[in-house]
Amino acid sequence: MAATLCGRLVPRPGAGWLPLAHSVRHGSKAVTRHRKPMHILKQKLLAVTEYIPPKPSAPPEVFSPRTREAEQESGLVVFLKRDLEALFRDHKMIAVAQNNASNAEDTLILKQRLLRHDIRVKFFPVKVVRSFLENTPYRNMKPLFIGHTVLFVSKEPKAKEMLATLKGSPQMVLLGGCIENTLLSVQGIVDYSRLPSHATIQGQLVSGLTAMTSRTASMLQHHPSHLSALLQQYVKQQSAGAAAGVVAPQSTSVPEGAA
Amino acid sequence: MAAAGASVVLKAVRRISVRFCPFESNVRATREFLVLVGSEKARSTNMNCEVTVEARHDRSPPLVQVTFADGENLVMKGANLSSQEMLSALKSRCTARDPQAKAGGRK
Repeated sequence: MAATLCGRLVPRPGAGWLPLAHSVRHGSKAVTRHRKPMHILKQKLLAVTEYIPPKPSAPPEVFSPRTREAEQESGLVVFLKRDLEALFRDHKMIAVAQNNASNAEDTLILKQRLLRHDIRVKFFPVKVVRSFLENTPYRNMKPLFIGHTVLFVSKEPKAKEMLATLKGSPQMVLLGGCIENTLLSVQGIVDYSRLPSHATIQGQLVSGLTAMTSRTASMLQHHPSHLSALLQQYVKQQSAGAAAGVVAPQSTSVPEGAA
Repeated sequence: MAAAGASVVLKAVRRISVRFCPFESNVRATREFLVLVGSEKARSTNMNCEVTVEARHDRSPPLVQVTFADGENLVMKGANLSSQEMLSALKSRCTARDPQAKAGGRK
């Protein structure tokens, strides 16, 4: 096509060639590499027949409220919760401490020291613990679990040993604990550790309770016992006086006068 | 977090004492501040700085007391502060003291 039209075009020397007649036939083809400008009639048609979507009178959320799917707990969380449940059930003493970035070495040494007294160190993610404690009678322990927390658990309540070991590591800050189903603060744990043994306490309790009654009994018996003691002393003196009466009759007159 | 690596240069600090009641609800910021200050990085800047923590149970508001080397005291009541605010306050005072020492040393 271009070859047949070449005759029309006059190549002027040194000026390039300009098309003398503008014809569509030698413009771009139907399939071009560039975006071909649309014919004006086609443009007009498309503009007129543009799609206008219908506007809803109310936003679609009004008809069906957005429901967030209830988050399903992952298997790991369920496993951890079961672990926690067993922990709270089996262990009498559970103490909570905050960990201020102790390094691995210190943690290892601390763990080893505590294991000697059969105290285990447990780490749990805070979110799991909080959601677990929500439904248990231990929900008042929830505010303790913020930030990096460590759990010290032991089957026997060994508060004294735990405190002594924790003194050696300044990074662990004791926040509180639950000993034998009783929520205790730091001061409470310290006091608990200072308590004497079970037998001593029982003895002290019994003696305290019976103190009043024993005092009453002794007060009631005070007068007759005093009287009987005095009478006994008098009888002794009388018998001593009668024995010595033959020797010195004057001495007997004094106790007779006093009685 | 902050440009200085989220840690303070504690060279000018002699002692930091933190006191809070763990059963209160307003202690989150104080505890986070404690973690930031008690971290290895912060403590390694000054091994002589003592960080003491007291966990009481007397419903007292959380308190942070910083004693600087030149005797000045900074008391921060953490009940209504955030940990970032406390950290930035401490940092500004530390850097205010520190460049002076550095500049004096260099000159």
